[in-house]
Amino acid sequence: MKKEKLNGKDLMNVGIYSAIYFVIVFVIAMLGYIPIFMPLICVIAPIICGIPFMLFLTKVKKFGMILIMSLIMGLMMLLTGMGYYSIIVGAISGLAAEAVYKSGGYKSVVKAVLTSGVFSIWMWGNFIPLFTNIDQYFSTRQDYGQEYIDTLTSIMPLWMCPVLFIAAIVCGIIGGLIGKNLMKKHFVKAGIV
Amino acid sequence: MECSILQTNIEKRGLVFDPRTKLLLLLTMATFVLGGAGQKIGLGRLVFSSISSCLCVLPFVLLLASKKKKVAFTYAVLYLVMLCVFIFVTPITKGLLNFLILGTAGIITRFLPSIVLGAYVVSSTTVSEFTAAMLRMHVSEKLIIPLSVMFRFFPTVGDEFQSINLAMRMRGIGFGGKNVGKMLEYRLIPLLSCSVKIGEELSAAALTRGLGGNVKRTNVCEIGFQIQDILLILLCGAAFFLLILSTFGML
Repeated sequence: MKKEKLNGKDLMNVGIYSAIYFVIVFVIAMLGYIPIFMPLICVIAPIICGIPFMLFLTKVKKFGMILIMSLIMGLMMLLTGMGYYSIIVGAISGLAAEAVYKSGGYKSVVKAVLTSGVFSIWMWGNFIPLFTNIDQYFSTRQDYGQEYIDTLTSIMPLWMCPVLFIAAIVCGIIGGLIGKNLMKKHFVKAGIV
Repeated sequence: MECSILQTNIEKRGLVFDPRTKLLLLLTMATFVLGGAGQKIGLGRLVFSSISSCLCVLPFVLLLASKKKKVAFTYAVLYLVMLCVFIFVTPITKGLLNFLILGTAGIITRFLPSIVLGAYVVSSTTVSEFTAAMLRMHVSEKLIIPLSVMFRFFPTVGDEFQSINLAMRMRGIGFGGKNVGKMLEYRLIPLLSCSVKIGEELSAAALTRGLGGNVKRTNVCEIGFQIQDILLILLCGAAFFLLILSTFGML
């Protein structure tokens, strides 16, 4: 395959979809302040974000676009105070997602659904500090109240770490499937895709 | 035309800061106020709580300096009320009520400053200035373009979402109506399809301005550090310096 450089239009597409994606993630993340929703973010966010992400994938034809979006998500998380873990995780998962989609020649719908799953791993990155150093995590969040901390500690034991990782992938795939169906229903008919 | 809070109005901006300073400020805010860095027990806690309180006053000052009095005072009143609730009401309540009040007040006092600062940064920086600042920082164009598009796009997404929301509520698709299940689909899809359209227009507009060409772009925006920038940078620097000191156990 000929190696093509990303042009301005591709990069703008990345920007547009990143903006939509981030707004949705941000709204959902606000739910996390009800303790029970905290692990559920890893479930709800990938499912809903799968819809714009699948539309984004139809615009992806060159190497790098998914990776850039992943890095931008990490940057935005850094700026919104979620720590630097998402950038590291995002760089790796973005590259993996890129590889998955590339293996389908940037066309395959099945691979696109898988890509949506792999891409969602970056969300799991936000939870890493909860598992590696939970005491430190809460020492900076004393003002949430002791009850919040207790509840969250009890629903976030160490085995939740791999569970959330898998949940992110599975829900990303579910989101991808929903996105695929919605796209067929709305966008293909309207001629947008 | 009424101007929304996120849109930039160049004519009456008041005191102008360099975009790089604003970014540094956002990062500092995220680290100390949102992330609550360094707030351990003992002396460090006192030092870093006072740093974070100082930072919470900043959005108010910045908003005043950029002549957005209404927003500034709304922020100040809301923040102070929540802080008072947090300090005076929480010790005398118990159980679920305490949990609710503590949660709301704690979360609002923690998030409000950063959200207001974020809104201030987006509303007071033009895309051009932002691009110029990123170019000065030698960020790759592959990151500059998506980021500046995002910058430009946040207010649009907000506006569109509000209009769609109103339209859907009129049709009875919302929490109150019968069609709760359709809520998501009927909001996301219109949002996506209008974003696609706006996006296409945006790229056409940007291509006419030479974005994505092979030539190095020039920029008419004059950005640079002024006295007000240096003051803010010193403040942020001091906060991070103290954080480093405390990490190595010297505080």
